[in-house]
Amino acid sequence: MTTSSQSFTRLDVCNRFLESVRHSVVLGLEVLSAEEHAVRVRVPWREDLVGNPETGVMHGGAIFAMMDHAGGMAVTCRTFPTFEITPTIDFRVDHLRGPAKGAAVVCEATCYRLTNHVAFVRITTWEEGTEDEPIATGLATYTRLKIETAGKVVGQ
Amino acid sequence: MKALKTLIEECRAGEADYQSLIDRVPYARFLGIQVVAQGDELTFVLPKHDNVVGNPTLPALHGGAVAGFMEQAAIIFILLQMGEPRVPKTIDFTIDYLRAGLFRDTYAECSVTRLGRRIANVHISAWQKNRQEPITIARAHFLLSDDAG
Repeated sequence: MTTSSQSFTRLDVCNRFLESVRHSVVLGLEVLSAEEHAVRVRVPWREDLVGNPETGVMHGGAIFAMMDHAGGMAVTCRTFPTFEITPTIDFRVDHLRGPAKGAAVVCEATCYRLTNHVAFVRITTWEEGTEDEPIATGLATYTRLKIETAGKVVGQ
Repeated sequence: MKALKTLIEECRAGEADYQSLIDRVPYARFLGIQVVAQGDELTFVLPKHDNVVGNPTLPALHGGAVAGFMEQAAIIFILLQMGEPRVPKTIDFTIDYLRAGLFRDTYAECSVTRLGRRIANVHISAWQKNRQEPITIARAHFLLSDDAG
């Protein structure tokens, strides 16, 4: 499938996908880039996302939610230009170190294997500006629901 | 504002409301988490709310919000049931999504599978209709502080 004939890009589709997901919008997620094999998403540090009131470190749940949605977008970028609904089957996140108070967090998700029914994704997460020192890694699988009207989610 | 450690001790002594501990954690307030205590048993509640919706067409809850709810439930569980004086650090968190999380209230319960000197292994189960039909199950490892009593 060629992409040159499309009037919209992977970044367009990922942005529309993000806009359709209320929780991701409320978290303040932002798609930084979207290529066939890599999607980058950012979550800002915010007072209301703090998990430890004594240190000001962002909650693992907010980071998880970003990584989970980025993983879904990584699948979207592989199935592009077709948009599919891809619920998460399972997800493991390892927290390698805590992000600093006040630091935005960025992740990159890659769908490294796409089968007819299942997508395999890995995600690496770091504090904005320190890409060579990951704070978290994730490994996830998503299932590809065969719903013909799925494209409506992103206005297709 | 009193120290977190003091608040935890007061909660454990029955002198403070459990909800006051949850309300000290900004992210828990963000999700709107509640805790219900029946004797020693704690059930956590994620009330249905627009902000935790993922798929708008179903509508279904955001898997990330459910995961965050379960991780937070485990952390509060460790603080209240084990007397851990500080918020434990999540080492890893692994979740299986078994059923769609519908747009309704979600409940979670936790159990400690293994408590070591430094590391706790916690199992978390979340359900909506009844606890025999979990929508998600998760297990997580938490790093405890050095001065846990």
